[in-house]
Amino acid sequence: MTVAKPLPHDAARLHVTGGARYVDDLPTPPGTLHLAFGLSAKARAKVTLGLEAVRASAGVALVLGPGDLDPMPDCSPSAHDEPLLAMGEAFYAGHPLFLVAAESHLLARKAAAKAEIGYEELDAILTIEDAIAADSRFEDGPRVYEKGDVMAAISRAPHLVEGRVLVGGQEHFYLEGQSALAIPTEDGGMVVHSSSQHPTEIQHKVADALGRAMHDVKVEVRRMGGGFGGKESQGNHLAIACAVVAARTGRPVKMRYDRDDDFVVTGKRHDFRIDYRAGFDGEGRCLGVDFVQYCRCGWSMDLSLPVADRAMLHADNAYLLPAARITSHRLKTNTQSATAFRGFGGPQGMVGIERVMDHAAHVLGLDPLEVRRANYYREAPVAASEASGGSISGKMKGQPLPTADLAGRGSVKVETGSGKATRYGGAHSRVPATAENATPYGMEVTDFILHEMTETLARDCEFEARKAAVAEWNAANPVLKRGIALTPVKFGISFTLTHLNQAGALVHVYQDGSVSMNHGGTEMGQGLFQKVAQVAASRFGLPMERVRITATDTAKVPNTSATAASSGSDLNGMAVKAACDAIRDRIAEVVAAELQAEPAAIVFEDGQVRAGEASMSWEEAIAKTYMARVSLSATGFYATPGIEWDRIAGRGRPFYYFAYGAACSEVVIDTLTGENRILRTDILHDCGASLNPAIDIGQIEGGFVQGAGWLTTEELVWDGAGRLRTHAPSTYKIPACSDRPGVFNVALWDGANREETIYRSKAVGEPPLMLGISVWSALAQACAACGPNWPDLQTPATAEAVLAAVGRARG
Amino acid sequence: MSLSISLTVNGDRCDVDLDDPRVTLLDLLRERMALPGTKKGCDRGQCGACTVLVNGRRINSCLTLAVTLNGAEVTTIEGLAAGEDLHPVQTAFIEHDGFQCGYCTPGQIMSAVGLIAEGQAGDDAERIREGMSGNLCRCSAYHGITEAVQDAARRMASADERKSA
Amino acid sequence: MYSFEFARPGSIDEAVKALKAEEAQALGGGQTLIPTLKQRLAAPSVLVSLSGIAEMQGVCVSDDNALCVGGATPHAVVAKEAAKSFPALAGMASRIGDPAVRNRGTVGGSLANNDPSACYPAAALGTGATIKTNAREIAADDYFQGMFATALDEGEIITEVRFPIPEKANYQKFVQPASRFALVGVFVAKYASGVRVAVTGASEDGVFRWTEAEEALSKDFSAKAVEGLKVSADGMISDLHGPAAYRAHLVGVLTGRAVNAAA
Repeated sequence: MTVAKPLPHDAARLHVTGGARYVDDLPTPPGTLHLAFGLSAKARAKVTLGLEAVRASAGVALVLGPGDLDPMPDCSPSAHDEPLLAMGEAFYAGHPLFLVAAESHLLARKAAAKAEIGYEELDAILTIEDAIAADSRFEDGPRVYEKGDVMAAISRAPHLVEGRVLVGGQEHFYLEGQSALAIPTEDGGMVVHSSSQHPTEIQHKVADALGRAMHDVKVEVRRMGGGFGGKESQGNHLAIACAVVAARTGRPVKMRYDRDDDFVVTGKRHDFRIDYRAGFDGEGRCLGVDFVQYCRCGWSMDLSLPVADRAMLHADNAYLLPAARITSHRLKTNTQSATAFRGFGGPQGMVGIERVMDHAAHVLGLDPLEVRRANYYREAPVAASEASGGSISGKMKGQPLPTADLAGRGSVKVETGSGKATRYGGAHSRVPATAENATPYGMEVTDFILHEMTETLARDCEFEARKAAVAEWNAANPVLKRGIALTPVKFGISFTLTHLNQAGALVHVYQDGSVSMNHGGTEMGQGLFQKVAQVAASRFGLPMERVRITATDTAKVPNTSATAASSGSDLNGMAVKAACDAIRDRIAEVVAAELQAEPAAIVFEDGQVRAGEASMSWEEAIAKTYMARVSLSATGFYATPGIEWDRIAGRGRPFYYFAYGAACSEVVIDTLTGENRILRTDILHDCGASLNPAIDIGQIEGGFVQGAGWLTTEELVWDGAGRLRTHAPSTYKIPACSDRPGVFNVALWDGANREETIYRSKAVGEPPLMLGISVWSALAQACAACGPNWPDLQTPATAEAVLAAVGRARG
Repeated sequence: MSLSISLTVNGDRCDVDLDDPRVTLLDLLRERMALPGTKKGCDRGQCGACTVLVNGRRINSCLTLAVTLNGAEVTTIEGLAAGEDLHPVQTAFIEHDGFQCGYCTPGQIMSAVGLIAEGQAGDDAERIREGMSGNLCRCSAYHGITEAVQDAARRMASADERKSA
Repeated sequence: MYSFEFARPGSIDEAVKALKAEEAQALGGGQTLIPTLKQRLAAPSVLVSLSGIAEMQGVCVSDDNALCVGGATPHAVVAKEAAKSFPALAGMASRIGDPAVRNRGTVGGSLANNDPSACYPAAALGTGATIKTNAREIAADDYFQGMFATALDEGEIITEVRFPIPEKANYQKFVQPASRFALVGVFVAKYASGVRVAVTGASEDGVFRWTEAEEALSKDFSAKAVEGLKVSADGMISDLHGPAAYRAHLVGVLTGRAVNAAA
């Protein structure tokens, strides 16, 4: 079996030898033009363009202003509100105003700098407060999801916890900047190489921009140098610009943003202000919570609605809230259009409730972890055979996971414990939304495993003993204070836009028995290609080297969804499995007679096609199938079952299942300066039956560090004129090698997904990011150790913010 | 004005006529020598993706003007392996999962080779993390990177011992 | 970048000649100048590389117990070569930027640029160093003249810097974590003649001597002696990395730390 093995990334050897090519590395055809945008320096202004000097600049082939494009191509992934170039009015500092095509990247940039741009400045709406005051928003009013009578619950509660938390944005800082290369082909066709998580979107938008049908445009993505959500929609502008100029000039056209432009032009994680009021009883149980989420969306809609929805959907995190109201304002501002970023709003929503738990513990004088556990959803009962209930300690690399029986014959036959658990959808009966273990949006939580995970993690990382040691340390040390916190993650898996939960695949078996595999997912470092190839190799019983992974290509697999929402392996793995199984069935039909078995009894393993004692080699079976004139190529398709969601009412089952995790972090702060560091982090994370433990552990480590960076050092600063001042690595601090915890233990929770996902695995891309909240919570604990008052630590918890919180704690 | 320099890149002697003195080593490699393995991350010397060795020392190729390198010996990621045999640092990066998206990997590996040659860090994890901190990895594969450098440092040290024995 | 010409002199004399051209600029390791050129903030017509001048390379200790560093010596070399003779200076050099920057960036480049957040100015002023140029010797106290401003004349080259080796010294840096420049850096050096305290990163006037702390420490070289002292936030840098009050606060904290750590 090739699944469940800790194999390295598919292109490992290429990566370490410099042979792995990204869009910017592709040899450009002779005559390639290079593009640069001219950008608005003002956040909101009527703009007049003087482009004569630009046109006259050396090496310039074409200059396009808004008047030169009719119709103006749209770059929006949602509301058709992003013209490629600002049409008379600039809506943010960084807004593309005009486009230069020149013989080289440098010449294009030099020319763009020569524009004479006139600005008539208008009042800009920059901050959340500005937008609230101006009632500048998307949608008519706020969205509200509600469960129970919140006002009554809070007013009856013996203890009130009230406050505000500012949740910062985050720059993706993919090491590979945005880039695209468009090559015109015969008969008006266009081939686009794009650094995009969403090739179908690029294809669709480019076709629209050119006034062509989608079949005229082919988009290819071999790999990205990181995406993190930042390449879900933000690559549209470059691809469209390249295609438009390529169509006009008949020449290949390439564009990549310089790093500063990438910072200034593209959207980032949404920043939020979350106001909370919650009622608690004396034992730390939450009786009701009222959240108001203010979400800064920037100048255009982009993906802000589903992002803000997901923030609402994670306002409960792991906690059963008897009464809850979540009000979400999606504010329109004159800033970059905030976009998808790993977690897609979920992390912001989760920070809100985790802050409430910490605040309540402080008010009540209780241990924060006890408050958290007192509010957990109830454990969903399962059959004893399903959950082995333990962690796999230490690094898993090199060891297969002893989980379900994954032998690759027939359809996956893993016993599930559905007997006692309640499920929605499919063959399962529907449970009323008012059920006892339900989220604020009425989805029953049937797979909750955090009680046991928390207990296991707390035991393995010696939480109680270390908590006591921290208290002792703090009593003895006036300057350096420590904090320790254990926080949970429950993250919903599926696109909340239900129809996106589909995927296709194309698998060919050639006459020599080699396999070529393609699917709609894109590779950005998350190891998707390897995982899916492992599935294909498993289905056919072949070693990995017999399977070739090919670049994502809209001409091979159409109508794909973005590689996003952590869904890559879940969706594409299943689609590839379907394609492989179709081919397997055909082979079995052909060779059944010779092996004297029913086709259904034939298994594919170890390079053999077998029925009991009788067998033949894979290659022989392939040759026979070919000679029998039976197709060795198949498409596969998958649609996630059982999900339905009404985003306006806030009711339904948006998620197929939840992925869980818990992290314990210990930190130290210097109360004289606010400097801080992570001393140790222990993580226990749920990947179901991991398809590839090495890749999954990498995702968990990376997600945690990125989440911790978001909440500590990664501070985005806009000035009073709306200009982003942190637009380079010299001003925006992402974690470096020396910033990771000194002690860092990651373990996988040992248990199969209760839903029928690919080999019972779980999605892993986004959930671990929110494990970083443990660092922020531990910092708050350390600040609280400095005095009697609530430190009210905000995010990002920079040294300066920590010092301020220490001051507040002291009073 | 034309400036000619002659330098060695991955063991090959190259005579280069620069029509423009502003060409950085990074652009020379990527755009004129067909060596795109060295990556352009920030082009400002702050991310480390463009790290190469010049005369055995690691430098940011985006902050080095090619004209200053007359007579220099440059090693890039493409020149590290001996044919099919990977350099011990390359092998260790594969074995320890020292990357995800791979974009920073050439820089990480060249920086690691430089670090090991500096002989300051040995296989001490803390010093390796500090010594590698100029090379950003947004996927945060830092755990694997640190382990890979540690492992490679040990292997190279014991290979050196065997040689000198 | 704007277009420019390039010169590679092999000696100080040649370099001085080359720098006589209009709008000529010296290029040390280029770790600040090249990004600046890329941002088009500087537009020299001729760049004169100092990296090929052998007589400007190296580290040694003079007879009068000063550490002498050639103007074109990279930080990494200072970090290594001065580790025994002047550990505080070596320690400072070993924490500038990152390893790749330390392999290229030079002491002369750093002092000539006089970035208000650079480390070397604190070391030079904190030790009362002598900045030796092709034309003269300049005392550190006369050399620094505000942000990015120095006593250097047009075309003048720093050929060597002499740092008197103190009895005890230490440099404490609070890093601006993204750039690794000093948000605040304090160099404390104790000599038989008294104590010097130089602060970088903090003031709008660039590196400065904190004379109150010097006086207190000259009487009593202990962290206690500076505990009650405060620097005024007036004239401190306020930017996106920290307001003036925070910087002023850090000056006091770091000075105490430097005294405690002085060796």
